[in-house]
This record gives sequence, C-alpha cells and structure tokens, in this order.
Amino acid sequence: MNASDNAPLLVVEGVTKRFPGVTALDKVSLSVSKGEVLALIGENGAGKSTLMKILAGVQRPDEGAIRVDGRDVSLDSVQSAQASGIALIHQELNLSGNLSVAANMFLGREPLRFGLIDTHKIQQEAALLLERVGLDVSPETIVDALSIGQQQLVEIARALSVDARVLIMDEPTSSLSQHETERLMEVVKDLRSRGVSIIYISHRLGEVKELADRVTVFRDGKNAGDLQRDEINHDRMVRLMVGRDISQFYARTPHQPGDIALEVQGLRSSSHPACELNFRVRAHEIVGIAGLVGAGRTELLEVLFGVEEAASGTVSIGGREVALRSPLDAIQAGVALVPENRKQQGIILEMSVRTNIGLAGLRQHRKKAGFLNQGQEARDVATMIERLRIKTPDEHQVTQYLSGGNQQKVVLGKWLAIEPKVLLLDEPTRGIDVGAKQEIYRLMDELAKKGVAILFVSSEMEEILGMSDRTLVMHEGRITGELLRDQLSEEAVMQLATGRLEAVAS
Amino acid sequence: MSTKLSRVCGVCGIVGITCIGLILVGCSGNRTEESSQPKVAYITNGIASFWNYAERGAKDAAEEFDVNVNVQMPGTNAVEDQKRMCQDLLAQGIDGMAISPVDPDNQGDLLAEIAQRTRLITHDSDAPESDRLCYIGMNNYTAGRMCGQLVKEAMPEGGSVMIFVGRLGQANSRLRRQGMIDELMDREPDENRYDEPSAGEIKGEKYTILDTRTDGFDFGKAKAQAQDAVAKYDDLGCMVGLFVYNPPFILDAVREADKLGKIKIVAFDEDEKSLQGIKDKEIYGTVVQNPYKYGYESVRVLAGLARGDNSVIPENKILYIPARQIRNDNVDEFRAELDRLSSEASADTDNPPDAKNDASTEKSVTES
Amino acid sequence: MKKNLGILGILLVVFVATAIGNSNFLTAYNMFNLLERASLYGIIGIGVAFVIITGGIDLSIGSLIGLVATLLPFLVLDLSLPLAVGLIAIFALSLCVGLTHGVLITRLKLQPFVVTLCGLMIYRGIARWVVSDKTMGYGNEVFSGLKVLVGNMSQLPGMSGVSWAKHVPVAFLILLVLGVISSVFLNKTIYGRYLLALGRNEQAARFSGINTSLMIVLAYVICSLISGFGGLLFALDYGSIQPDSFGNFYELYAIAAAVLGGCSLRGGEGSIVGIILGAALMRLLMNSISMLGIDDQLEPAVIGIVILLGVIVDELVKRFAARRRAIKQAREVGA
Repeated sequence: MNASDNAPLLVVEGVTKRFPGVTALDKVSLSVSKGEVLALIGENGAGKSTLMKILAGVQRPDEGAIRVDGRDVSLDSVQSAQASGIALIHQELNLSGNLSVAANMFLGREPLRFGLIDTHKIQQEAALLLERVGLDVSPETIVDALSIGQQQLVEIARALSVDARVLIMDEPTSSLSQHETERLMEVVKDLRSRGVSIIYISHRLGEVKELADRVTVFRDGKNAGDLQRDEINHDRMVRLMVGRDISQFYARTPHQPGDIALEVQGLRSSSHPACELNFRVRAHEIVGIAGLVGAGRTELLEVLFGVEEAASGTVSIGGREVALRSPLDAIQAGVALVPENRKQQGIILEMSVRTNIGLAGLRQHRKKAGFLNQGQEARDVATMIERLRIKTPDEHQVTQYLSGGNQQKVVLGKWLAIEPKVLLLDEPTRGIDVGAKQEIYRLMDELAKKGVAILFVSSEMEEILGMSDRTLVMHEGRITGELLRDQLSEEAVMQLATGRLEAVAS
Repeated sequence: MSTKLSRVCGVCGIVGITCIGLILVGCSGNRTEESSQPKVAYITNGIASFWNYAERGAKDAAEEFDVNVNVQMPGTNAVEDQKRMCQDLLAQGIDGMAISPVDPDNQGDLLAEIAQRTRLITHDSDAPESDRLCYIGMNNYTAGRMCGQLVKEAMPEGGSVMIFVGRLGQANSRLRRQGMIDELMDREPDENRYDEPSAGEIKGEKYTILDTRTDGFDFGKAKAQAQDAVAKYDDLGCMVGLFVYNPPFILDAVREADKLGKIKIVAFDEDEKSLQGIKDKEIYGTVVQNPYKYGYESVRVLAGLARGDNSVIPENKILYIPARQIRNDNVDEFRAELDRLSSEASADTDNPPDAKNDASTEKSVTES
Repeated sequence: MKKNLGILGILLVVFVATAIGNSNFLTAYNMFNLLERASLYGIIGIGVAFVIITGGIDLSIGSLIGLVATLLPFLVLDLSLPLAVGLIAIFALSLCVGLTHGVLITRLKLQPFVVTLCGLMIYRGIARWVVSDKTMGYGNEVFSGLKVLVGNMSQLPGMSGVSWAKHVPVAFLILLVLGVISSVFLNKTIYGRYLLALGRNEQAARFSGINTSLMIVLAYVICSLISGFGGLLFALDYGSIQPDSFGNFYELYAIAAAVLGGCSLRGGEGSIVGIILGAALMRLLMNSISMLGIDDQLEPAVIGIVILLGVIVDELVKRFAARRRAIKQAREVGA
C-alpha cells in the first residue's frame, strides 16, 4: 500500500437528478477510497437508490461529475459502469431463477469456444468465485433452489467476476437470516481486506456500526452529513437521517386502548401452515409488526384482507367472527389494506386520482340500476384530497404522475372514504419522501385517536420504534414475541426477528 | 400543452390521412371508366385455376365484343364475398352480370337484387328459380354420369368408391355427385334425386359409395381427407375428386401410401397435375368442363344483351357447354389445346382460339 | 377522444376520396349497403370490446357466429321446433359459451387466448358435425319475420310512410341502440368503472374490494351474447350458411375494429364510438377498393396497412404526449 491508496477511488460531486414531479437528488456528493467500506444511510426516498442507479449506469445524472481514479467518467450504460470497475448488487435480486449459478454469473458475457458457450470454463471460474464469497454450492445448481441469502452471495460473486473495484450493496441483508447476515459481513470484511471498495446501503444501523469506516447520510435527496469511524453511533445517525429528534418526527400521542377490534385465533396461513397465530388489536391502538423480509408479515396481512384464504383459524372483527374469502368480504367487515406493492396493488397508475379514490367507495355512490352518482363521488374525492393534503393539480390528474408520497395518500384516501374499523398497512412509507412520511405518521395517529385499530408492517426499525404502541415480531411465519412500549429497543426487536427465542421478553 | 399536443396530433393525422387518400386515388388513377363501353361483371364462386381459364375467356370475349369486363373471385367466405362484390358492382353501375352462385337456393335475395338492377345470367352453377336471363354451363348431372362411366371403365369388376368435393351447397357439385352415384347404381336419370351424404354408405350391385367428404375449399383439409381415406379403408377401390383441386391431393395421398394402381383415381376438371397423372396412367381419366367457354360465352351474351340484342339467348334460356371425357389416349391432344389457349391468350391475339367456336349454341351431347 | 378524431379524419378522407373517384359511390343504394355492413361488424366489435377492456381476448366469435347461424335453421327446419324455441336456444347457447369462457379464465386461471382459441375450433367442429357440413339456408318462410332485422327501416311498424326510412338499414338502428347502452354501461355505471379498473390493474381492483372474477365472467357473457346476436343478423343477411366457413375471421375483424377504435389489447381502454368508427372504416375501405377499381387481391393488404398506420400514429402520439408531460413537470419542479 502506498500513499495514493488513500486518494479517493470513486468521487461523486454535485450530482443532481430530477424526475417528473420530484427532484430525487440535489447536488449530492460522496467519495470512497480503496479498501474502504462507506455506509450510505438515509430514510426511504432520501435518494440512495437513485444515486446507486446512476453509479451503475442505469440512469444518467442531470448535473454533476463522477470521477474514478481522478478521471471524469461518463456512466451512460451498465457496460461503461462495469468497465469503470463499478458493480451494483440490487436490492431486488436480478438473477434468472431458471438458470444455473454459473450461467447467471456469466450472463451476457459468456466465454465462447467454437461459437458455443464454453461451459467448462464457466464452471471453473464460477467455482473459484463461489469459494471467494464462501458459498458452498455447485456452480451447476439452479438458482431457484438457493435461499435468498445464498442468491445474494451469487450476486456478489457475479460482481467480483467483472473485477469490480467498487461494489455497491443495496440493502443486502434485508432478506437474510441472522446466520446469513453474519456470513455476509464476513465476506464484506474479507473483500475490504483485498482492497475492494464497498458502498454499503442499509437500514440496519447495527450492521453499519459494525462494518463502516465512514458514514454518509442522505436526507430528502441532499447530503445531510458525514460521520467518521469514531463518530458513528446510533443517535447521531438517526438524527442526521430524520433531521430532528425522533420524538418530534414520529407524531405519536399516547392512546387509551378501547374494545377489541381485531382478534385472530389459531390462524394458519397457507404460506406457513405450521405456525399458529394468535393476537388482538384494540381500537385506538397502533400495533407494529416487525421482522425480516420473508417472515410472513405480508402474508398475514393478506390473510386478514381476504386476498389469501386462511388454512385454518378464526378472525373476528369488532367481536363478530367473519369469513374472509375475498377482499370484498374484508372490506364489508370493515378492514382496509394499504398494500406494500403500491403500484401493483394499491392504485391503478393509469387512472385519475378521482377514479382511484372513488374505487372502493363506488358501491356507496351507486344509484338505481348501478348508475354512478358522479356528483357525490366528486364531492367525496374533493374532501379527501383536502383532508390528506394530496398534492395534485386536480382530481383528474393521472396518479402515475404523482410522487410516491401522494400516491400513498391516494391509497389511504380510498380507504378513509369507507371508514374502516381496522386499517392494515404494509410498509406504509416505502419509497416516499420525508415530508410525506411525517404526514402519514400524523394520519395514523389521528386515525387511532378516532378509534381505528391500526396494524402495520414495517422493515424500518425507526418506524417501528417510533410509531407502535405495541410491537409483534415475526420470524419464519410465527410470532416470536410481543414488545410493549417500554420494552421496545432495536436490540430486542432484532433478537426476536432473527429467531433467538431465549431473549423473548414479556 | 394540450393545444400544442392536439396540433401535433392534427398534423400527424393530416399527413397520414393525406397519404392514404393519395394512395387510394393513385391506385385508381389508371382505371377510370371508359364510358362508351358497356360494363359487365363476371363473378366466380371461389378462387381456382379453373376460374383463371374462365377469366381468360371472359377477357378475350370482352376484347372481341368491345365491352369492359370486371372479373371477381370471392374468397373462403364466399357467400358474404359474393354479396359484397355484387352490391359494390351494382352500386358502380354495370350493364350486366354473370355469376356462379355458391348457394342458389338461399341466395335468392341477392339474385333478385341483381336481377332488379341489371341483366343477370348464371354460369357454371344455375339458379333456375331466379330471374336470370340465361344459364351458361354444362349439365352437371350429365357430367357426373360421364364421370361415373369412367369409374366403371377403371374398375369394371366393381368395388368401393370415395367421393371428394369442395362443397355440396351449390347445385353443380350436388348434381355432379348425384349423376355419378346414379350411373354407378345404374339408376334411371333423374336430376331431382338426392342422396344425403350423411346417410352413409350407398350400396349398389357392383359398386359401393363409402362416403362423401367436403373440405370447403380448404386445401390443407382436402389433402388430409384424401390421406385419411387411404389410411382408413384397406379395400378402397376408387377415389373420385369432383372439384378441380381434389384429384391432385388424392394422387399425392395414394402415391405416398404406395397404392398406385391398387386404388383407382378418377378426376374432374383439368388441373395440370391431374392431366400429367392421366398421361402417367396414375389417374384413369377425367371429365373436363370448358371454363374458357364459360367466361367467353358469358361475356358474349352479356355484351349482346347490353347492346339490346336479345337473340344471344337461346329459347330454353340454357346454353350448354358440353363436357368431355379425357383418358390416356386423348390427354396429349387436350393438353396441346390448353397450351394453345393460354399462350394465344397471353399473346393477346385477335384470333379467338378455335376451342370456342365449336359449341356456342349447340346442345350438350347427352342432354335429352 | 383524440384518437376518435383521428380515425374519424381517416374515415372522412377515404370517404371523400372515393366519392371523387367514383360518382356512384354516393348513391343511396351504395350508402345503404355500406351502412348495413358497417353496422353488422360494428355490433360484434362492441361485443369483443367488453372482453378487450378487461385485458382479455375472444377468438371464438367467428366460430360462435357460424354455430349460431347453423343451429337456428337446423332447430327450426330440420327438427321442426318453433322459431321462438330456436331463438331462445341459440341465445342460451351463447350465454353458456360466454359463461364457460369466463369461468375457465377466472376460476382455472387459463389464458383467454387459449380458452377462446379452443372455442374457435370446438364451435366450428360442432357446427359442421350437427348438419354434416350441409349448407343451411334462411330462405324459408319461417324466417321472413326476422328478416326485418336486416331490412330497411320502412319495414318497421309505423315507419312505412317516412321517406328517409327506406334508406336506413334496421341494423344501423340496432347498432345505435346497442352502442348507446354499452357507452352508458361503460361510462356511467359502477360496473363499467369496475371493468375499466380491472382491465388496467386487476390486482389493485381486487384489493379495492371489486369482485373481479364476476366482472370478467360478465364481460365474456356480454361478448358471446352480442356475438350470437350478431351471428343471427349476419345469417339473416347472407341467407346461406356454409357451416365450415361462415363467420371465419369475423373475430379478427371485430378485434381489428376495436383496436382501430382505440382499445388497447393490454386492457382498460376503449370507447364504443371508436369501435363503431373502426368497423365502419374497414367496411368503407373494402367498398372504396372496389369502387376505385383497385385490384381486389390487394384488399386485405390495404386494410392491414391502414390498421398498422393507425396503431403507429397512436403510439407516436402517446409517446409524444408522455415526453411533453415529463418536460413540463420537470420545468415546474425546476421553477
């Protein structure tokens, strides 16, 4: 190692990126040196993913410069980013599940022999790379047969196969088990010692604390601050991320729990038929469900909303047992769901704000013979736009062109129009900006105050810590623990979420 | 924004539309009417090489008698196409129309509509109930019997027979089939007899009609049906193809099954492959119509009528063009005649081929 | 709406060009024929539009038309059933066909393309088998009352004295009534809204408490019923039915009309006016080709080219609109 090693390998300076309706990045900068792990943190919608896409050559910046080894580079394609030594490991895995591990690693740049794919060479090189990331599977294994954590390692191996000097890892541990997470951290440390620079994006502040040499924080598409190794601690990171003390950001007021609004007994979902779920949510109560991706949280909400039928068990709403065979049943029982996948399940992107908000309430706007009471619909929608402060030119705006936060408010508006007794929210603030986030928290609080029972799933620790009156933690389909307000801490949640049952409180 | 957008839409629209307009007018530019000539139309009942000879005859006659003829051939939805073609021609205003109706019994409305608006004659397939002024064609029943004679010659000791035909809706194919069946069953001639194809086998003393297969002018199906029949009946004696395209498919099927000679083939019409088959002694013989003359005579009659000459119509309003039997001994002669016909026609000679001078008003040979 | 203007423009230009090219084009006789054909095809176009709006497709229309057209004379003439029974039977059959398609698509999650493609073959086969390929006809007296449906309006009760009625086909009146009902259904009732919503994003619609399966079944039932009715009209108009070919390709004409008229095969989009204009344009083109003396053989190619042009222009306009919107919003944000 010589002095030049300390010079930044990758420098991002003053990068700006605008999308219709939103400025995703506003003159952001960061740098990473050789063999350094830079943690990039920020709330959802802070612009991390956008910057990563720019670095990977998927999107082009509107302004700003990117330098590798002190030279300006133009990253206008994935190929040019790869040529500059930058590789991105996506949040959503980009593997073809039907192909083998080796085939995936060399997809698009297969070595040829006599015009045919040189399978032998691929297998050999793949085996070497797999060894480097400590993944003990045959290169011929079909990717679908691997766990999510193993697939993540395949992605890393693939990045290494293109001789990446800068490896960008976007939420690599969000779907991993504790064991897999530890393994991944080892791999990251190993790569660092070999001189690979890593930009590590994560919500898990614990991991960040363990891994990062330096932390860069984004907020609202801007640089919010940097922390050096010795400055890294939980409170500082959170303060930089949310821009104020947490207590102000999460607008939670104490609620007095009322009658039981939702009672689940002996419920088994078809995705985890071995696990029986029992819990209740009272009116005026906000209950968070924490856990890793794949812990069965979304599946639970889908059962409660009638999307998937329960394998067994009963669900009672307001003391009355209900059969939930379709979303229609659930809605008629007073249950509403703000789904995780907003664009697929929450709204109809190509349709107007009015149509979307009106959709669930159409039955109430029906006149004789199924004719639509358009006047009533228009009035209701206008009220909702005002109440939720949805930023839209008018009610006829196509929802596609709204920002994520406003789209989410449209989803909420659709449900508030039918006044549900139980509101289910799945990752309610995913992909929306800080301002809209705060409004959604305020709204959750307001609804709880009015007597709605709220059950929300979140992978954001801060959100769970900030909003829930009570937290249920799930691991591999079962509820591994229940944490009251005063028992709630990141460590307690993580232990339950990774299945360390011995640490169960209460 | 919306004003600018709509302006661009408008421009795109206008450009596209103008192109279409120009194309339409451009295509039609060289075909504007020559008003002095009478305009007549010749409508077939499908698309086939048979009708190409007829078209040639129609065009030759058009030149000779100084009329403008519009030949149109309907596709697979023949009834619908005929209706549309006829209506469009009527709308353009024509002086006469010759049509081979697909289903004369049920196309009464259309034939009445044509007869009301112009001079209507039928060719190839007659519609005696309609107000047609004249029918030009062969007597299909008689031709069918001629075909039956060929089957008897090919298979004198008797045997089983399969019939293949495009459609049975039209009178010509029905009569043709019936004539053949009656000949094989040695019945008295009776054009009104009809054996339902669904009735199953028809057994005579020496000959058995196993089945009649229709294909609706679907060539793929025609071929498959011929192959299936060869495969299905081990003891099949003779296969008869009643529409021009049937015999070649039958020949292929028999050849593929290596049963040449074992299964006799009798053809109808003069497809080149059928004629070659006769020359090679793979097909016993065929009954040929004279499509050239259908076209030629139709236009000649229409031209006369358009000029007010009603003498072109014979008294019984039927102008039979006789059919002929072609066997190995006269196939070369017949082919030479066809060659002469097409080469002379394509060379645009003024001399009409002599084939068309022989029978303009004479009655069919076997017509009683 | 803009799209409808575009197709209306093409329609007008072709109309005017043909009128200039051949003075006989504008005769009452030709106009009547044209209007009648456009109406018949427009009617089945409306049927398939319901299915296309849900993001599905119905390839069986032509065969169903063939089956219905074959069965009615078979029931009434060959089996000597009363006409009313025959009519009830063919409509019940159409309803069952739609119901079967819908249930297979929603319950078994089969792809509409596959289900209706099989339907295309099945109904054709049944039609041919029932009557052994025999040509069926509507020449019989029994049907003369029904033939009013494909006649002119002066044959309607109380219309005999009206001078213009003679020049307007009854089929056009049927098209108008059906068009208005369908338009109102799609745009003014919650069920129409449901159809459009689920066509765009079935999951989101289901998550909004819409019984999407029921609505999809309904769309297929409507489509088959209208097809069956259209089949009856076609049969009455042409009079002669070849079971093996009657109705061939009608589904493609109907789908083409719907696409020309602004339906997206991805679902969630479609206007009844557009479909009627689309059907009219295709019939007009066929008539123009004949009127202008363009080679008959070119006809399918010309129609194909016009549909392709229409779709290309539509796509370009859409892209242009999207780009403009993006630029405008970026500017607003920047300001």
